[in-house]
Amino acid sequence: MELLGYIGLLPLAAESGGEESGGSFLVSPGLGLMIWTLVLFLITMWVLSKVAFPKIQEALDKRAKTIAESIDAAERQRKESDELLAEYRARLAEAREQADDIMARARKSAETAEAEAAAAGKEKREELVSAAKRDIEAETRRSLDQIRQEVADLTVLATERVTRKSLNAEDQKRLVEEALGEVDFSTLSGSEKS
Amino acid sequence: MEAATVQAPGGAVGNGDPEKKGLSTKAKFFIGLGIYLAAAILLLLIFGNNGKNEAFKPQNEFKLEPWVSLHLAGIDLSLNKAVLYLFLASALTIATMTWIAKRMVEKPNRVQTAVEVSYDLTKNTITGGSLQGELARKWFPFIAALFFWIWFSNMLGFLPLPTNTEHTFAIGGLEIPSFAIYAATANIAIPLVLTLVVWLSYHVEGIRSQGIGPYFKSWLPPGLEDMHPVGKAAIFVIEVISHFVRLISLSVRLFANILAGHLLLLFMGGGLAVLLGIAALGALTFPLAFAFFIFEVGLVATLQAFIFATLSAIYIGGATSASH
Repeated sequence: MELLGYIGLLPLAAESGGEESGGSFLVSPGLGLMIWTLVLFLITMWVLSKVAFPKIQEALDKRAKTIAESIDAAERQRKESDELLAEYRARLAEAREQADDIMARARKSAETAEAEAAAAGKEKREELVSAAKRDIEAETRRSLDQIRQEVADLTVLATERVTRKSLNAEDQKRLVEEALGEVDFSTLSGSEKS
Repeated sequence: MEAATVQAPGGAVGNGDPEKKGLSTKAKFFIGLGIYLAAAILLLLIFGNNGKNEAFKPQNEFKLEPWVSLHLAGIDLSLNKAVLYLFLASALTIATMTWIAKRMVEKPNRVQTAVEVSYDLTKNTITGGSLQGELARKWFPFIAALFFWIWFSNMLGFLPLPTNTEHTFAIGGLEIPSFAIYAATANIAIPLVLTLVVWLSYHVEGIRSQGIGPYFKSWLPPGLEDMHPVGKAAIFVIEVISHFVRLISLSVRLFANILAGHLLLLFMGGGLAVLLGIAALGALTFPLAFAFFIFEVGLVATLQAFIFATLSAIYIGGATSASH
């Protein structure tokens, strides 16, 4: 300790000369103060190493662990969400494909139904038209027969009035045919002619 | 700082001079400096020189008056200003660190963050930089305690406390010591005893980890295997001296830095003006006191604690590794 005190004195030893107010006390270490320093520093170190440092270390370790776990968890979740996203995308694509398919099919069936309906309508219409034609023809024929009968009767009646005699069956037949030969029936059934 | 005074827009605009508008920072600085010096010279002309003040002893700010005399086995253990500062530094270190340590939370506030950052600094940068594994685990509390204790002690040195018993002032008839700044680390005894602890620790650890013979052999730098024994001995002597010089370099670095800082603040804050009897000088130096105060608190206090702890770690690391 004596030696150390001397070492401490060295830098200003030359100029001080030991005068109290000169400033030599600035570089002369007091043994009492050194003991105080040692005791107080050791107490501080002991308390810090027993109480403060372990707790700080523990808290820092805990936080480091938490951070590491959080990073792992985040990584895991990111992976999961990536997978989910991929799955959703795939499903979405599939659904879109299906929708397109359904649309195409619906369009196709609609077109078929339309065509079928159009064909059926046409057939029905043609049927109706031909039925109407048949009816008209039948009616025309009936009317012609009736007219022919009327003409025959009228011919017979007129001939009898003119000749004052009744006609036998043979005469009647001849007369009727003659009269009918003169009447042009074609004008009555114009549609047939055209 | 002074440049700001001429930045007032009235001066530049009112003048109407286009050149004045585009004043560069450099020009502003020199104009400010000119005004500052002119003011000081004006003050010197007004108040004059009172002659050198022989009665004022600035160094007495660092003198330790025994407050409570205490002698044990011939050793002067008297309580004084330095002992008070040691107590305060220890109490503050213990209180802050344990208080923060006991309420460590997951999401830290600013104080906890600061403590965590400094803890990390002591653990990974200072200790981890020189020591590994078991050695680091073993010496970390010592090195970290050195850092925190010196840091709190240094910072406490910039807090004005009523400790100047040489000059007192009265409030309601009560004599109160003047407020003064003092740092325990500005007393050589304190850095010296810490240095001694470091010095003994690294030798003991070196001998313990390498064995007494190899440890002293490791003092010789590598590459001297072919050297003549006399040359080796000479180098060994130099190495021995260098180890003893570490006692001075480590302690005086801390002591001198803090003492010089405090002396600067004392002189700039008015001490120089009083000492030389030139009141005008005070106006010149006072702004510098602020700048030095910020410099000391913001850099030197932390830097010196960091250097002391780092060198301690380096010494222990050097003593325990075989290659010097």
